[in-house]
Order: sequence, then structure tokens, then C-alpha cells
Amino acid sequence: MVSKTEETQLNRLENQVDNGGGGAWEYLCLVRKLKVRRSEKVLKHGLSILNDPKKRSALGPEEWTLYEQVAIAAMDCQCLDVAKDCIKVLQKKFPESKRVGRLEGMLLEAKGSWAEAEKAYSSLLEDNPLDQVIQKRRVAMAKAQGNISGAIECLNKYLEIFMADHDAWRELAEIYVSLQMYKQAAFCYEELILSQPTVPLYHLAYADVLYTLGGLENLQTAKKYYASTIDLTGGKNTRALLGICLCTSAIAQLSKGRNKEDKESPELQSLAATALEKDYKQRASDKLGLLTSALRSLKI
Amino acid sequence: MVAELKYEISQNAYIKLVLQALKHKTTAVNGVLLGRVNPQNENVVEIIDSVPLFHSNLALLPPLEIALIMVEEHYGSQGLGIVGYFHANERFDNAELGIVAKNIGDHICRYFPQAALLLLDNKKLEALSKEKDQSPVMQLYIRDASKNWKLVRPDGGSRLVIKEPAANVVLLDFISSEKWQDVADFDDHLDDIKKDWLNPDLFK
Repeated sequence: MVSKTEETQLNRLENQVDNGGGGAWEYLCLVRKLKVRRSEKVLKHGLSILNDPKKRSALGPEEWTLYEQVAIAAMDCQCLDVAKDCIKVLQKKFPESKRVGRLEGMLLEAKGSWAEAEKAYSSLLEDNPLDQVIQKRRVAMAKAQGNISGAIECLNKYLEIFMADHDAWRELAEIYVSLQMYKQAAFCYEELILSQPTVPLYHLAYADVLYTLGGLENLQTAKKYYASTIDLTGGKNTRALLGICLCTSAIAQLSKGRNKEDKESPELQSLAATALEKDYKQRASDKLGLLTSALRSLKI
Repeated sequence: MVAELKYEISQNAYIKLVLQALKHKTTAVNGVLLGRVNPQNENVVEIIDSVPLFHSNLALLPPLEIALIMVEEHYGSQGLGIVGYFHANERFDNAELGIVAKNIGDHICRYFPQAALLLLDNKKLEALSKEKDQSPVMQLYIRDASKNWKLVRPDGGSRLVIKEPAANVVLLDFISSEKWQDVADFDDHLDDIKKDWLNPDLFK
């Protein structure tokens, strides 16, 4: 997960390198640190370093990390020859290495040789059954072959052991959402919020899922989580502000004709609306009219 | 005999959606089609523009509801409505119309019963540079009488055509210049409202 400042920094560096301003190694390190997927750029700029003997030797022992990074990026871009070459170099330097063995497995995956990849991973797991990366490769393989229920099963088994793996919970939640299994997705986000209560992304995703599930109770809870998202993001999250407006509107629709025991205070919605209008006026004034009529259509 | 409906998509609407799919190669993407029934020929639906919507969590309601409100508001003032939906699957090998696409399609049909569902044809897109094909790299689905989405096969006259015959040539050109980097979808807008989902400068 990447914050806005981190993303801006990354994009700035990327632009710089793209336009010949240098800083390729810095960029590649940042991509590794933030764990983002920018395979085409990594391949391009990584190769430019690896193919230049002077630049390569300047890296010292980090050279091997770069080979690994470029190999994975190459596989992501289906440049399997490049990947094979990088892996060969690493095999020569680190024979019998489990880490290189993982790359070999990934190359089999990239080729679509699923059975062989599974064999390779199984044997690696025999020696080290708690290798998280390989366990997750199995989930990825199931997903890549379109076996979504298999991927879910695998991922659930994985999470029974490695329940602190937040990325895995997020992946599972997103798979559930794509299958419209919202209750199960909600459970995943609940786990994430419990373990990392100050990460606004989880509050926002949870609210979105609850709103999608619908029903008065879910909508009221969704509204609370949009509110906590706003709290955690200093009021700057457009999605959460819009979420408040959507919830208020939907709750009002459902409460029509009911006893207004918990009368919703309209302050939260008008505060959200005001914040949105102010932001649009400042940064997207051509869309302000659309926002205003959208908000108007949401008020009962 | 009832004449069959034909769908005519403008070059810009077509290219915008393919570019969005190319920008987000690792996830599913979707968009809406804007247009109207041809005022001179009620058997033709003109798809005049498109708005790329999301590249993450396509099945969540809040962003979709906001997007549809704003899109309809903007295009309504031009006399255009939502006439269909575009979807591109996450995986290259997946040529199936998924449940999310069908559900959104059903929703659009409530307001425009002749709505078209366009599914990106990954294999056709890949082959585009080798085969000089003028037909769109999309599959057309429409609802039959029992409200099931059916693939419309292009045998005989094609029912989905691009208005400008050289559109695929332009698309190939954009692909080689990596034009997809300039496309902004509604997801981008929600993350940063400065990004304009109307993409007014994309084809300038």
C-alpha cells in the first residue's frame, strides 16, 4: 500500500528517469521498497543498468538483487528470454539457492507450465513448509488458471497460518468482492480493521462493502466507517465524503414512514457536502455543477 | 419481420475504452456507453461517446452510483443517455461475460432496454497488429426475450460497427505511442478530482 506522497515521489522519479535525467537505481530501489508493480519501467531501466558493465559493477553486491527484480519484471511483461538470462546468472552465482529456485518456479508459471511449476514449488515447500512467498504463488497460479474457488480455498488455508498477512487479507477481500460475496469480503475487512485500526483504506473499503450489502443496519454502520475514514484522512478523502452523502440519502429512503426514533442529524451530510463543494471549486471547478446537481439528487 | 438492431460506435468512444483496458493490464476495467437511437433510423443505436469508469473493485456500489449520477447529468444535457456497458476481464484467457457485467447491464436495461454489453476480445486485440481488421476488438452481447445476455455472432452483417472505418489503424498508432497513459477514468477522478473522466484533451 502506497501513500499519496510516496506515489508522487515515485512518479516524479519515474518521469525523471524516463526523460534521461538519471536516478534509475534510486527509482528501482523505491519500486522495491514500496512493492509496486511497474514492470515495464523496471524492465527498461533495470536492463539499461545490467547491460552496462560499468554501471553493473558500481552496484556491488546489490547487482544480484537487481537481477532478481528484472527477472520478475521480465516475466510480468512476458519477456521470458530476458527472465531466463537473469535467472541463469543468478543460478551460476548462487547454485542450490532456494531463492533462485523460487524464480525458476515463477518462470515455469510464466510459461504456463502449471504442473511443472506446482512440482517445483511442492519440492521447495518440502524443505521449507513455511515459505510464505511460495504458498502465495500457489494462490496466484490458481487465479491465473481461472480456478477462483481454488484460489479462495488456498488463500483461506494460508491465512489460517499467516493471519497477520494484511496483503493476503486484502487480496481475499477483493476476490470476494469480484464474486459479489460481500459478506465474506466484509469479514476480511473486519480482520484488517481489528489488526490495523488506523489505516483509512480498510475503513473505506469496509464502508463500501456494507453499503453494497444494503439494509438499514449496514447503511448506518457504513456511514460510521465513512466518518472514521474522514477522521483518519483529515477530511480529504473524496470517496468517504461522497459515501456520507450516499448513506444519508439511502437511509432516509429506507426510513420513510418508519418511526423516526434515531433521527439522523443532518449536520454530517451538510458538512460533507460543503467540504466536497469547496474542494471541487478549488481543484475541479468545471465539474462543480455536476457535483452540485448530484448532491441535490441525493437529498430527499 | 422485425429488423435486428445495429450498434454503431464512434471511433473516439471505441478507442477510449480500449486504451483504458491497456492502461490497466492487470485488472478488470469497465465503462459506460453514451448515445441514442438514431433519429433517422430506429434500428440503429449510435454509441457516440464512452466514459471509462473503474479499474478496481468493479462490484462495489458507491463509486458506481456516483459515477452514473454524474455521467447521466452531464450527457443528459446533450440529449444523450447511457446505452450500454463495456467490460474487460482481468485474465487474457477469460472470454466469458461475468456476473458483474451482467448485473450492471441488467440495471442499464431498466432505463434503455436495447442496451448493449461490449466485452473486450483480448485475443482479437492481440492479433490486431498482424491482421488488418476493421471490425472492433469487442464482442457484442444483447438481452434476448428471456432477459439472458446472448453473444451476437458477427456472421452475416456485423451488428456492431465502428463509424469510422480506419479506427483500428488509429488505435494501433496510439498503442505504439503508449497513448493509454493519458486516459483518466472515474477511479482516477475519485482519487484525485483534478483528473477529468471526460478526457477532453485525449484526442486533440
